[in-house]
Amino acid sequence: MKKLKLPTWIRKIGLFLAVLGPGIITASADNDAPGIATYSMAGSTYGYSFLFIIFVVTIGEVVIQEMAARMGVVTGKGTADLIRERFGVKVTAFAMLSLLLANLGTTVAQFAGIAASAELFGVSRYIAAPLAALLVGFFVLRGSYKHVEKILLILSLSAIGYVVTVILVDPPWGEVLRNIVVPQFSLEPSFILAVLATIGTTITPWGIFYMQASVADKGLKISDYKLTKIDVTFGATWGNIISAFIVICTAATLFDHGISVENAEQAAMALAPLAGDAARVLFSAGLLGASLLAVSVLPLSTTYAFCEAFGFERGLNRSIKEAPAFYSIYLGIIVLSVLIVLIPGLPLFPIMWISQTVNAILLPVLLVLVLKLSNNENLMGKWKNKAPQNMLAIMLTILISIVTVLLLVTSFISPSQIQ
Amino acid sequence: MIYVSQLLGQKVWDAFGREVGRLEDILIDSTEKNVPPVVALSLKEPQQNLQFISAINIASLWPSVTLKTAHEKIIPYNTSGHELYLNDRVMDQQIVDIEGKRLVRVNDIQLARSGDRFLLTGVDVSGRGLMRRLGIEKIGESISRAFGNRVETEVIPWRVIASIEHDDPLRLQVSQNKLRKMPPADIASIIDDLDHHTTNALLQGFDNQVLADTLEESSSDLQVSILSNLSPERAADVLEEMDPDEAADLLADLPGQASETLLSLMEIDDADEVRSLLAYPEDSAGGIMTTEFASVPNVLNVSSALEYLRNSKDALEDEVMYYIHIVDPQGRLRGIVTLRDLVMADQDSPLDPWEEAIPITVTPFTKHKEVAYLIAKYDLLSIPVVEEDTEVIVGIVTVDDALDSVLPTAWKKRLPRFF
Repeated sequence: MKKLKLPTWIRKIGLFLAVLGPGIITASADNDAPGIATYSMAGSTYGYSFLFIIFVVTIGEVVIQEMAARMGVVTGKGTADLIRERFGVKVTAFAMLSLLLANLGTTVAQFAGIAASAELFGVSRYIAAPLAALLVGFFVLRGSYKHVEKILLILSLSAIGYVVTVILVDPPWGEVLRNIVVPQFSLEPSFILAVLATIGTTITPWGIFYMQASVADKGLKISDYKLTKIDVTFGATWGNIISAFIVICTAATLFDHGISVENAEQAAMALAPLAGDAARVLFSAGLLGASLLAVSVLPLSTTYAFCEAFGFERGLNRSIKEAPAFYSIYLGIIVLSVLIVLIPGLPLFPIMWISQTVNAILLPVLLVLVLKLSNNENLMGKWKNKAPQNMLAIMLTILISIVTVLLLVTSFISPSQIQ
Repeated sequence: MIYVSQLLGQKVWDAFGREVGRLEDILIDSTEKNVPPVVALSLKEPQQNLQFISAINIASLWPSVTLKTAHEKIIPYNTSGHELYLNDRVMDQQIVDIEGKRLVRVNDIQLARSGDRFLLTGVDVSGRGLMRRLGIEKIGESISRAFGNRVETEVIPWRVIASIEHDDPLRLQVSQNKLRKMPPADIASIIDDLDHHTTNALLQGFDNQVLADTLEESSSDLQVSILSNLSPERAADVLEEMDPDEAADLLADLPGQASETLLSLMEIDDADEVRSLLAYPEDSAGGIMTTEFASVPNVLNVSSALEYLRNSKDALEDEVMYYIHIVDPQGRLRGIVTLRDLVMADQDSPLDPWEEAIPITVTPFTKHKEVAYLIAKYDLLSIPVVEEDTEVIVGIVTVDDALDSVLPTAWKKRLPRFF
């Protein structure tokens, strides 16, 4: 059947722009509040030696995201849909509860980010967090958050500040490069915890769902898949390059001076060579932008996935009476997250990165399902996984499981070492 | 009532209490639209290479699956291709509830015994069905009773269900016939929630008129996606069936080259109308008006005007025809008469009396908000659009199109789906 024809070059550019996006967006989400916290903590505590972990995680992210995008293009359906249709209610319930838990943890981290950046300006968390929740709820429920999205995206671009700072401080590049490729690992519980948090904040269950859904939603054709693949690879790599720069920056400015980041104040100091006294402003603006952006998207998308999998009425164009489950889950996630952040004396900065270990621990559950789906002949036809993809993904799954077990074992042996 | 979820995986016994295998799936006759009968059982781990056994053998399904005959005398079943596999193709899938006009997920399937046969009565889409699948129906029931509400089983009869598998032509056709009974606006809102493969498969089977009506109610993203999956010839035919103003809006969203191609394939009359509309900005009266309206020459008397209308192509295509526009030989608007007044008037009187009142008009460049305001202020059903310098009437804006353009877009637009 003949399709609408356009001049080839216009078609190509248009296609690239249409396809470009999901990968970039998912990758920028790597550098949200918990991301910045995790990389700052890791870089300032373990120095350049942590770069190898970032390198491994990057490969993992590219492989996993590519699988999700491919499933989206081939099936045109979301991850939750496929899990439900192929594995039935019990597996779906398990997977969705894992997702809900992981995303709840991340939402808490985002509110912690909002609270931490407010506290840098001397605003109490008891004002900032509920206010942010109200604002986000208002914009999202009114469906007009698209306008705000752009401002927030610009705010969260301040992660680029780390790149500039690194160029300014000019770290020993030879050592940096060597540390990227030379494997380094430690069995200390705190190091294992940092590794898990890094995996969890980079390869998120959320990212997998988001990638597949946005690709499926765009209605991309399988013939254009090459472009999607470029977008995914480029996006994941780009996101992790920024992450690596945060690690390098904090290693050069903090680790070298013996400062291991424990709060947002210290984390902001990493940007001092660039911004001087304004480092605190730059840091908290970035943190705030990234957190608000994530808080507007994450709880809503989690709710959508949950309702879609179970067939509940959903969507902001339904009334509360028509879609009670949808609204209760959405509000439940937000209210619970805010309440957790408001617990008196709760250390905000550690919450931001430790919550990410939950993501990592729950990730293997999802990875096993994604692997089964993307190897399904009926579903994927000739687009099912090839051997190298399977090998890498299986290795990653096993790796995460081993690290999780290691964490449990080592912390059991020497519990005092955990921060 | 018998629920399929309670049967799957159960042991199947012959008349002497010997195990024949385990129940893997239940096959029904998919050519029967209302209450399809069970035609066969599919077994896993069959004892004697009997994968499919005919429904004639069944003595009972619940509480245990028992056959009438001995192992050796079981009548096998030969599949003909008209069977629907309940577990594989219906359970956990999304279906359209034609009566409720919504997309729901199948949580369970209900069978009923009728004499010697078993019939498929409906699908369970309720939370209770979910709980049954999770094996917590009893617990769930007592919990919800403690909260003072009962969880009801909600079974949708099979006859009002359209199941939507795009790779099964026979069932797709049955579904299309059922879907066609729904108002186009409801079809549009349902396909908006479906994946692209299914949407395209469904719409290919609709005739041009239904497809055109559905497109008119769809979001512009979806319109473009659907249209670009049709052959250019078919797309042009569908555009001809659409209201010119809607067709113009759609074409304005396509790349220039593609819309030119389509216009050249359309009938010259239709294409010219659409072209003239494309010249106006989208947010002006010209952009939302339709050129199909009823008019009569001012030289006629009442009876000949009615006769004229009967034979007028424009009047035939006028969506509602509440107002008849009286024009002079140069096409200038002279007056407006309601169809009611024209029918009730003395048949021999001239049209002059209606030319005395000066009609409320707008120009093609009047902003759509202003148009809506005038229509509301003067309680009109449509408003004529008149060229400023020549006073020639070029179209009318109907009240529904005027409303569409001022309703908050956030409410009308589909929310971005994240997952």
